[in-house]
Amino acid sequence: MDIIITSWALDSYLEMKHNRVFSKEEYKKIIRPDVLRLRDYPDDPKFENEKFWSIVADQSHNKIENGYKMKWHQIGSGKIQLRLTVGMFCNAFLCEAYVKRNPKAEQRKIARFKVFLQLIRQSQYTENGRLS
Amino acid sequence: MRTGALLSADRSVELIEIGHQMKQRGLSDVFIAAAVQTAFEFEGVYDLMKMWSEESEKKEQDEVIADIQEMIDECSQKEKIEGTYVRFDDLDQIAKNIRSFKDSLRMIVEKKGGIKMVADLTGIPQPSLSRFFNSRSIPRRITLLKIARALNLSQIQIATEWSR
Repeated sequence: MDIIITSWALDSYLEMKHNRVFSKEEYKKIIRPDVLRLRDYPDDPKFENEKFWSIVADQSHNKIENGYKMKWHQIGSGKIQLRLTVGMFCNAFLCEAYVKRNPKAEQRKIARFKVFLQLIRQSQYTENGRLS
Repeated sequence: MRTGALLSADRSVELIEIGHQMKQRGLSDVFIAAAVQTAFEFEGVYDLMKMWSEESEKKEQDEVIADIQEMIDECSQKEKIEGTYVRFDDLDQIAKNIRSFKDSLRMIVEKKGGIKMVADLTGIPQPSLSRFFNSRSIPRRITLLKIARALNLSQIQIATEWSR
């Protein structure tokens, strides 16, 4: 499975990198290796851990088709909760990374994620690279 | 089929009502029309419209409006694009370049009347413009062109290595 970096993922990384949400070391030692597990999806046992990987549900508690999130707890100097939404199709599409702040902000991110998934299905997205 | 059609009618009426609420709050016709039209096709935008109508805090409403505008712009892309491939080690420099470009553009905007005037002329809501100028995200050409047209800027003034 290829791991596609979309323009939405790139934008969110730019923002977080600039705000120093996580360090370069954390990216290289924790975040990147975890994201690379998607190459072996669903065989990597970490995908069975709901604290790390789960399907996304919207505000009406409906599970979103093809929509998953990767989760990191207590990361960065601010010990924040980091989320990465991922569209799982024949390839894994990295959509948007964000810091989980409050339920309202998270619901907005999930609504955006629904749009991103629809745009991927309709081939209306920008690819900015593949993680390898 | 019938249930789908009924839901669709319900949703249409709901969206039109939210559009009226937005009009009462002073949002532009251009924005409202695009938001409603996009929400008909994209459930995520419909969700955002509902969030806006049910939200009482101004700050949170503004965030939703900025999200809706971003999604309108995203949905206007009609095909897959192969963008520039970026290395992780270059992200800091790219973010700095984007910040610098947006700061320069912001100065021009301020000299020519400020964000409110640009919002009035382009129909882009103020919260969206504020997010645009404050973030490090790669600017969309469509946004740059709207700003350029509104302020009669040259292509050079909105030229940047990083746009999409």
